[in-house]
Amino acid sequence: MTLEIWLIFAAVLFAFGIYAVVARRNLIAVLIGVELMLNAASLNFMAFNRFVATDPATGQIIVLFIMGLAAAEVAIALSIVVQVFRNRGGIRTDDLNELKG
Amino acid sequence: MTIPVGILMAICIAGAFIAVSVKNVLHAVFGLAIALLAVVGLFLYLGSPFVATMEVLIYVGGISVAMVFAVMLSQAISSVDEGDGWVRRVLGLIPAIAFLVVIIPILVGHESKPAPELPAAAWSVEAIGRALLTHYNLVFEMLSVVLLLAILGAIAIAQRPRKNEKESS
Repeated sequence: MTLEIWLIFAAVLFAFGIYAVVARRNLIAVLIGVELMLNAASLNFMAFNRFVATDPATGQIIVLFIMGLAAAEVAIALSIVVQVFRNRGGIRTDDLNELKG
Repeated sequence: MTIPVGILMAICIAGAFIAVSVKNVLHAVFGLAIALLAVVGLFLYLGSPFVATMEVLIYVGGISVAMVFAVMLSQAISSVDEGDGWVRRVLGLIPAIAFLVVIIPILVGHESKPAPELPAAAWSVEAIGRALLTHYNLVFEMLSVVLLLAILGAIAIAQRPRKNEKESS
């Protein structure tokens, strides 16, 4: 098991996330895509940490920071989703176009 | 013995595929949970039981469950009409495949060496805690502030407008 395989696997996971963010029209599905992308980044950090790091604690701590930020992001995003749903009666991303010029 | 890592990667890809492809968002969240649990196994394979535990607690136990609650608030959230959509799908596939086409030639073809031996002490919880409270202390405290602000912001955004504000407007 070499570093290359881990990096390619994380890239594939990231591509799934890109697809969900671009193609889905449900706000929560977009959020799921963001989570997949964050996990791909965490996997990259852990793989580099395992294979090339001089100080093995560093990569793990960065992954812990990513998790904390992801939790904060999901809390804010879900409350925004709930509020959008309450005000608009739907969370279809194409309908949220008030800022369109 | 441990589960082979290829199986874990396959489970993770399958979970991610479910998460991005099924129409019902509740099922998509379950697919996300499958992918995240496979990532937990991969973290264990990469030698960090502590980060794997935190992944279970925060992602599977926190984020996925929060999403399930948000979805179950209403039927309308779980079944948004996304249109018929092969155009939408192709337009989504283009950037994803373009990303892979760009990134994979960069990744392959380097001289790859096997992983070094795990230094037992460096991967322990004690080493992580020591680094968090010495070298990374400022970042650690900033993250606490960010989490506090996120909690307050989530409450402020999600609460219903108060009655007196409603009457005045």
